[in-house]
Amino acid sequence: MAFAALTLVSCNVNDFLTRDSLTSMDDGSYWTTENNVRLFVNGAYGSYFCGYSDNWGSVYAPACYSYEMSDDRTTTGTQAAILVSLPADNWYRAELGYRGYWLQRRGAGPWNFAYIRKWNLLMNRLEMMREDGRLTDEQYSHWMGVARFFRGWEYSRFVQSFGDVPYYDHEVATNDTDDMYKDRDPRSLVMDGCLEDFNYAMDNVRKNDGTDYVNKFVVGTIASRCMLFEGTWYIYHKTDQAMQTVTDIDGHAKKYLEAAQKFAAYVMDNGSFTFNTPMHELFGHLYTTLTGTAGEVILYRTYNKSIQSSNQHCIASYAGGNGGGEGQSMAGNLSTLKAWICQDGKPYNSSTVENVESWRMQDMVVTRDARFEGTFWDEPRSSATGLYVEKFIDRTGLTYGVDGAPACPPQYASCTNENGYPCVRYSETVLNWLEAKAELAEHFGGPAVTQADLDRSINAIRTRPIDAVAQAKGVKLTAPLQLSWVNDSFDPERTSDAQKACHSYAVTGKFVSPILWEIRRERRMEFFMEQYRVLDIRRWGQMELMLGANNPDLLVGGWVELDKSQQLTKRKYNLLVKANVGVVSVKHIAGYNSKGQIILGDRLFFDGTFDANNVYIDGNADQMEGFLIPQNIADRDPLNVDVRNYLEPICSDVIRQYADKGYSITQNPGW
Amino acid sequence: MFVSKKLGRFLAAVCAVVLSAGSLLAQNIVVTGKVVDKNNEPIIGAYVVVAGTSTGTSTNVDGGYSINVPANGTLQFTCIGYKTQEVAVAGRKVVDVILADDALMLDNAVVVGFGTQKKANLTGAVASIDASKQLESRPIPDIGRGLQGATPGLNVRIGSTEVGSDAIIRIRGQVGSYNGSAAPLILLDNVEIPSLNLINPDDIESISVLKDAASASIYGAKAAFGVILINSKHGSKEKEAVHVTYSGNVSFQNLVNMGGIADVDGLHYTVEAAERLGTYTPVGAFWLIDRAGYNAAVAWKEKYGSTVGPNDPMVYGRDWYVDASNRKIGVRTYNPYDYYVRKNAPTQTHNISVAGSKGKTNFNISLGYLNQNGMLKVTDKDWFRRYNANVRVDTQINDFINVHGGIMYTNSTKSWAYATSSTTADVWYYLYRWGPTYPLVDKDEYGNNIRTGVYELKTANQATIKKSYVSVNAGTTITPIKNWNINVDYTYSNNNSQEHDPGIRYWAGNSWSSAVNVDGTTMANNEWYTYNGLPSSFVAKQLLVEDYTSSYDLIYQDSFTSTRQTWNVTTDYTLNIADAHHFHFLLGMNSVDYKYTGVWGQRRDLLDINNPQFDLAIGTQTSGGSASWNSTLGFFGRINYNYKERYLLEANLRYDGTSKFPTHLKWQWFPSFSAGWRVTEEPWMEGAKNVLSNLKLRASWGSIGDQSVASSLYIPTMSLLTDYWQHSGVRDYAYSTPGLVASDITWQRIETLDFGIDLSLFNSFNVTFDWFRRTTKDMIVGMEGLSYNIGATAPQGNFGKLHTDGWELSLNYGHLFDNGFSLNVTASLADAVTTIDEYGTATSIGGWYNGKTYGEIWGYKVDRLFQNDDFKWENGALVRGTDAYGAIYQYADGKNYATQGKITSGNLISGPGDVKFVDLNGDGVIDNGKQLIDDHGDLTVIGNTTPRYEYSFRVDLGWKGIDFSMFWQGIGKRDMLGSSWLTVPGYAITTDGGSAQVFCADFWYETKDAAGNVIEANYDAFYPRAASLGRSRSFNMTDNDKYMLNMAYLRLKNVTLGYTLPQKLTRKAFIDKLRFYVSLENYLTFDHLKGIPIDVEEIAGYSYLNSSNYNSGFAGVGAPAFKSASIGVQLTF
Repeated sequence: MAFAALTLVSCNVNDFLTRDSLTSMDDGSYWTTENNVRLFVNGAYGSYFCGYSDNWGSVYAPACYSYEMSDDRTTTGTQAAILVSLPADNWYRAELGYRGYWLQRRGAGPWNFAYIRKWNLLMNRLEMMREDGRLTDEQYSHWMGVARFFRGWEYSRFVQSFGDVPYYDHEVATNDTDDMYKDRDPRSLVMDGCLEDFNYAMDNVRKNDGTDYVNKFVVGTIASRCMLFEGTWYIYHKTDQAMQTVTDIDGHAKKYLEAAQKFAAYVMDNGSFTFNTPMHELFGHLYTTLTGTAGEVILYRTYNKSIQSSNQHCIASYAGGNGGGEGQSMAGNLSTLKAWICQDGKPYNSSTVENVESWRMQDMVVTRDARFEGTFWDEPRSSATGLYVEKFIDRTGLTYGVDGAPACPPQYASCTNENGYPCVRYSETVLNWLEAKAELAEHFGGPAVTQADLDRSINAIRTRPIDAVAQAKGVKLTAPLQLSWVNDSFDPERTSDAQKACHSYAVTGKFVSPILWEIRRERRMEFFMEQYRVLDIRRWGQMELMLGANNPDLLVGGWVELDKSQQLTKRKYNLLVKANVGVVSVKHIAGYNSKGQIILGDRLFFDGTFDANNVYIDGNADQMEGFLIPQNIADRDPLNVDVRNYLEPICSDVIRQYADKGYSITQNPGW
Repeated sequence: MFVSKKLGRFLAAVCAVVLSAGSLLAQNIVVTGKVVDKNNEPIIGAYVVVAGTSTGTSTNVDGGYSINVPANGTLQFTCIGYKTQEVAVAGRKVVDVILADDALMLDNAVVVGFGTQKKANLTGAVASIDASKQLESRPIPDIGRGLQGATPGLNVRIGSTEVGSDAIIRIRGQVGSYNGSAAPLILLDNVEIPSLNLINPDDIESISVLKDAASASIYGAKAAFGVILINSKHGSKEKEAVHVTYSGNVSFQNLVNMGGIADVDGLHYTVEAAERLGTYTPVGAFWLIDRAGYNAAVAWKEKYGSTVGPNDPMVYGRDWYVDASNRKIGVRTYNPYDYYVRKNAPTQTHNISVAGSKGKTNFNISLGYLNQNGMLKVTDKDWFRRYNANVRVDTQINDFINVHGGIMYTNSTKSWAYATSSTTADVWYYLYRWGPTYPLVDKDEYGNNIRTGVYELKTANQATIKKSYVSVNAGTTITPIKNWNINVDYTYSNNNSQEHDPGIRYWAGNSWSSAVNVDGTTMANNEWYTYNGLPSSFVAKQLLVEDYTSSYDLIYQDSFTSTRQTWNVTTDYTLNIADAHHFHFLLGMNSVDYKYTGVWGQRRDLLDINNPQFDLAIGTQTSGGSASWNSTLGFFGRINYNYKERYLLEANLRYDGTSKFPTHLKWQWFPSFSAGWRVTEEPWMEGAKNVLSNLKLRASWGSIGDQSVASSLYIPTMSLLTDYWQHSGVRDYAYSTPGLVASDITWQRIETLDFGIDLSLFNSFNVTFDWFRRTTKDMIVGMEGLSYNIGATAPQGNFGKLHTDGWELSLNYGHLFDNGFSLNVTASLADAVTTIDEYGTATSIGGWYNGKTYGEIWGYKVDRLFQNDDFKWENGALVRGTDAYGAIYQYADGKNYATQGKITSGNLISGPGDVKFVDLNGDGVIDNGKQLIDDHGDLTVIGNTTPRYEYSFRVDLGWKGIDFSMFWQGIGKRDMLGSSWLTVPGYAITTDGGSAQVFCADFWYETKDAAGNVIEANYDAFYPRAASLGRSRSFNMTDNDKYMLNMAYLRLKNVTLGYTLPQKLTRKAFIDKLRFYVSLENYLTFDHLKGIPIDVEEIAGYSYLNSSNYNSGFAGVGAPAFKSASIGVQLTF
């Protein structure tokens, strides 16, 4: 033993003490092959293409469970507060494996530079790999394009939340204090950088890098999204105090809108995307990828927990799972219903579709654009507003466990759902393109929108096929939008008081133009509860629509016939019980104005007399037909919809950190 | 630990035999007698000598002696470990004596690093623990629990009462550095062991605690935060004898505190909290509650509280109903303790050992068995079992060579019902999370099962973690010449852990989703129609009975193995010059080679839930594994010098290398020094010795390297991500972004300065006091001053520094009365405070900053609760306004209180019944400024999470074989801000529902009638007005002094009453010793929790299966604390 010990001592002790990690790679030796680059990039897909998020996560997931704040969602009780006081943190220093962070109040990214560093680091390593001959020029260009695409997107998310942010196009050195504590750069400087990144990406990213990997069409669509946001922001926030850092606001707006149009146009001109898939197929499809069969899907997230146990989500718990047992605490409202176009392509107040005046869900699924049937359950259902969003689940999900139906299978329960999500789809591309073109025409002398433009975009979407279930209900394709219809009187809602209360009206001094109104309407119908609405109403300067005081339709639910709800065919319920006397209320239609708009009557509460066993004897049950007012509804505090809320404040942690080191960072106005 | 008394006796016997051989035989009388200790146990080998002569003998196995002595002579009785006693013969033929314990035991050998030292000559801060006092006769499964309160400065925290879980042990302060561990090195026979739970307490011979750097430094790399040296029993105490010892204990466990969870009062709170926000619709997660439901629940309690038993089925219309919007409203309330907690959970231990000495060979063989049951009712799968086997042999081959070897084997099994795979939300979690109307009974009126934690527990399969630990040791001691020893010792230990999780599917009524009609025609009686406004007879509903599983319809198994090879090679030489200068030299090397590998596999979709097997599952199969390794190597030397045992000096030097740092920074030198002055050994102190028996002054300084940090801090590693994304149905693989690293990272240096004093008065009253400062230099912390904009966490480097100041005091008094009654009292008190010295320029009060006291809690001070007349009212409503931070209610005219817009949380605004905070800086607004040291608004330090002023005291009484002991332990100060339903009023109350009863029994409310007149109110409440806070300490519960938890306590850890049968009787049955005892553990606790049902020793997030985020870190949401009553027997023959 002594000998053994001495042998041990005499051998090279530093060998004995050399124990590099057995289970991780080392930055110094990792960068050898293209495949390793791909694996590095893979780490970010979950953060950028969230789909339904994963497990119980709700980041960037559909609004019916992710609490997105917009004018499309209404709850019972007091409407949720947005942001009144300065938060301690809206930053995260870590790259979170496969689920990003977001600021649900803004629908955009947090103060998290981890991804900025990731992409800057990747660019540095790609240069190294090219110099070492580890990558061909083609490989280098593609991955450099991918890195710049993601950096551009990341900074766009920053700007969407915060406006001005410090811009870094390099890894920040740990010894460069001035650099890491620099003040915010003007958002136009940041977005100019993003535009350069997107341009490079468009030029260099592969047209096809494998199914559901980033390609030119993904880049084109996302880049048009980011550029459209920025371009329109400059129009509708031109006079904001926060815009004082930007010089030549108009010039930038034009540049960004042209870019948005160009990027989208590339996809439209060079892709072969078509609208050949019914609405329900897009979101509710189980287990497998849609790519190849769904012509409008540009990038799709599949879920399959048998491949990995965490590869699952919980949308069904909030939108139709557990046999719809869990009611929807937030759903659409009257404002949503009014916005929906009718089957003849006209707004409700001028449509001549048969039975169009009925607001019963059973009728609306037939008289409205087909997407209405694809979005809502076709009867009133017990939820906050009587409306029930079933867009994100397949046809059968909501039928289980109800009134004698079979028990709910696991894939509709808990967080075991596996339906896939079209993260990037062509309808957005064409709508971005059309909106950019319309804005350019209206504000910067671009060519006017033509009927052919509408046919390539809005009308193309409207050709989306209708599945057999919807057909059986009588749902038909919506008539194409005719440019000739679109005049000042096409939709009187456009010039309503609610619109007048909007920030954009104060900035531009006018209502939205008729053509833009229709483009925006199409977005609302197409992307209902998909996380775009809050970004849209912010960039359009219309966040004021989130306050019931400005927009009373926000506080009104869907049409219900409470006296008949026990006779519903699919989901019976009875709200007219003694306990609900003075609690449940509806509003009737008092009449119509000269423009065909409905005028709501007073709020009518349920009243009645009951016998000793609480059985209804007499009362106003037969009058309980109308728009349901969510129980105990109360408007959100005006403070929540203050103009300062267009931008997220710089959180106190960041401010303190700057102050701590003797630097300062400029706060957003009003905070 | 001192080499035990028994061993001392044996040594004495050896010398006695040698001495007596040469004694002269005088013509005197023959005196016989018996020498016993205070417990009436015979003292073997005590030396009996005629005073003033060299005539002597020693006592035999029965303690008996026989000696010739002048009739008027005096006998002197001496034995190591006992006070010397002189007795005048005075013509008697029989002289029996009882020797009193020598609490000083200055001559006893104390085990120190790689050797022993006479207690008198110790210069470092070394404590020895009396294993027999501290561990024997206690119904505790492991040494960790036994060491609590054993010596000042050794802090043991029982953070989890889950059976099988380890205690958390710290020496001198809770924190050693920002990144590293502050855990002491635990050595069993000089080899590190992974857990104290592996050791059978019955196998312990001695325990020493090395507290300062000077005494611990010889162990190098891992000893920076002290060492606990455990020596196992190595053979017989007695020459040419074999003894068999059996000890057994049976105990019964019951909760320390049954109750404290809110019942219907919780519903009252919930409804009040919802209504203040204008929510009149029912709230909750799956079982909802509103005012009508609450009123019905009160009525239910009155009508059925005493007649409907816990196990009576849940009946629709009586126990619950469905409201008009198809929401389930619970009316019956369930007491979770009725369903979950077992009464008199039994635990037993049995140990048997054979120790002997034959010729030149000593051996010890022992077997141990522990079977401890957990506190969960319903399932029989909640237990922890352990088997121990231990063999030690040594033999003297010839004059030069002694060889020894041993094997220690431990096999433990932790068992539980696999009702969930989650350790962040297990069954206890849901017990506390859900409100009182969530069903716990597992059947409905149709005999269907109900999806409840109770049903799932009852149904679940058995999960186990089996750990087996084997340690094989062999070594030799070569003595080439006198005073020169060469020791070579090699130990191979293997720790193997296997977890087996067999999943399950259930068949039960889904209590999570909405109810369904039984058949649409059956009607049920609605007993609560006067409350809920529904018809008195309505369509019968039931829960939808279905097959369900969560994510654990699977079988999972893992196997992890770690091996550790330890070489200890030392050589030492003793040199005495002129009987005055005593030298001891030691040189040595120590190497540890550690490897860890593991693999796991899992398969989903069980075919047979009663027999979950990989071959009987058809789903996806997944697997994974892990591997790590590290090593340390150290060379060391030590010199001890003393002059006439009066001036004592010791110096250590160690050269340490570790695998954890880059090559050029792997190695460093670490010196340490200590010195002592035995004042009472000075010739000029001779006269004072009757009073001042002993006085020693000690001082030490030393530095030790610490490398208890992650292995690859200097390497920018990139790890494989367990991703969730798929590319077109194909699993994605990904590598993470490399972090920022500092390439020059190296050892943290832990320096300890210690001053100590040992004092004895009248040979019976002893005081030991130590003051220390432990400084962590080159502390590894994140690089300072990096902005969040850098996009990564700051790299780690040796940029920081902290220090811990503390002191330890122990007192002991022992006295043996003439009538044989013995008394021994021990008390200890210790404190340690850690201060951060260097942590860059950060001044944020939430993080670390220079000058911060570790563990400090910042918060507001509370003035009182607001009342109605503090506010301005208009038309019966409060008048709103705003301040710089948000919405407020305006104060009544003339009330110039500070505004609390900062406290406003969403729609919760401070009003009547809410907390009025103190405007400390007088600026008219309650705020937290920038939360910087120089700008923290009204925040101030309100407490500290560190346990302070740990104290204990122990009383031992003995009389004629009866022994009684009592052991108290307490913490003088510790604060906690809980985060859970049990610790924060209103915590997620409207979404979850669970709460501590105290919050709901005494909160501010006023109930008005329809006309607005107050009909009921509680304005003098301790807790503020109901508010649903979400899962946070916000609004009224924003960190503050009034509602912070005071975790100080005093606990009667143990009371034991024992009786040892007189040997006279037992000898007839060839029994050397027979003792019976009863022992109570944890039977009395004094605390300041005001009825909050968490244990005083609670550490949030710590348990057996998850030591950092157990039940998501919610405080008190785990297995509840229990007490044990036990009886036991000890038998030796």
